[in-house]
Amino acid sequence: MSRGARASTAAVGVAFGFLITGCGFGNYATIHQALLFRSWYLFAVFGSALAVATAGLMLVRRAGTTMFGGPLRLHHRPAQRHSFYGAAVFGAGFGLCGTCPGGAVAMVATGGVGSLLVLAGLVLGLRLRGVTEGASRAGPDRVTSPGPTRRFPAVRG
Amino acid sequence: MLKLFPAQLPWWLAGPGMGLCVVALYGLANRRLGVSGALLAAVVAPAERWHGERWRVEFLVALVVGALAYGLAGSATRLTGYPVLSAAVPGWGLVPLLAGGGLALGYGARWAGGCTSGHGLSGCAAGSPDSLAATATFFAVAVAVTFAARALSGGAL
Repeated sequence: MSRGARASTAAVGVAFGFLITGCGFGNYATIHQALLFRSWYLFAVFGSALAVATAGLMLVRRAGTTMFGGPLRLHHRPAQRHSFYGAAVFGAGFGLCGTCPGGAVAMVATGGVGSLLVLAGLVLGLRLRGVTEGASRAGPDRVTSPGPTRRFPAVRG
Repeated sequence: MLKLFPAQLPWWLAGPGMGLCVVALYGLANRRLGVSGALLAAVVAPAERWHGERWRVEFLVALVVGALAYGLAGSATRLTGYPVLSAAVPGWGLVPLLAGGGLALGYGARWAGGCTSGHGLSGCAAGSPDSLAATATFFAVAVAVTFAARALSGGAL
């Protein structure tokens, strides 16, 4: 990976960590109120994030290439059974703890030390799924492998 | 704490900012932003004896730095166990609840191939079918679990 790509990764990481903490992804009450549909703040955050990301990725897609990472390979996979099963288990954890992986980091950063337990469980869960997959079949690692991704031509349409 | 930053950023700042993070990571480095993948590569990979991609490790470190920056200078930061839950759930129940919830988050994220950031934000913005399916599923389950917990706890949660 080029120096530019590494610098961008670091910069985006800092910005993202700052923003998810700032908007209360690490705040149990904020997430809990959203999941009970009692507050629309997080929906506004997530909706506007999604809108900007979708519009921005359209532009990147049109360019077809990235500044430091070569031709764009955008995540694109069919929905399979594991997408639903895995997400259902994830959603149960989300609802029980009122947090998600990024949120758990943000919660610890804002003083919620109980979230260290969630993080410990999270790491154990990631590992446990690896054991399950290794036992069932030596499948590819879905979270990390590049896998089949769609390549976009420089100009579409 | 320094109290430089507000307890909560306005949605129109945090949301679009997070969206730009997704766009920047794709447009600059050709990478999908995801927190569970970063945790997997940084913490779980060494235990499973494979090499996690280096940018993921660096992204995680940067994310923690960004979260701590807001946490240390944010006006809502205070040392707590686990807000709301620690008051509503007795101590002997809280530890397994948090660790179990974390376990579900980790297991499910690896099974589904992403979490709130990788699927919910990046994958959905890219229009990937697996991300749309996973996001709809985990959100629906999280809402259902939250309402169920509220009913079972007699409104305490």
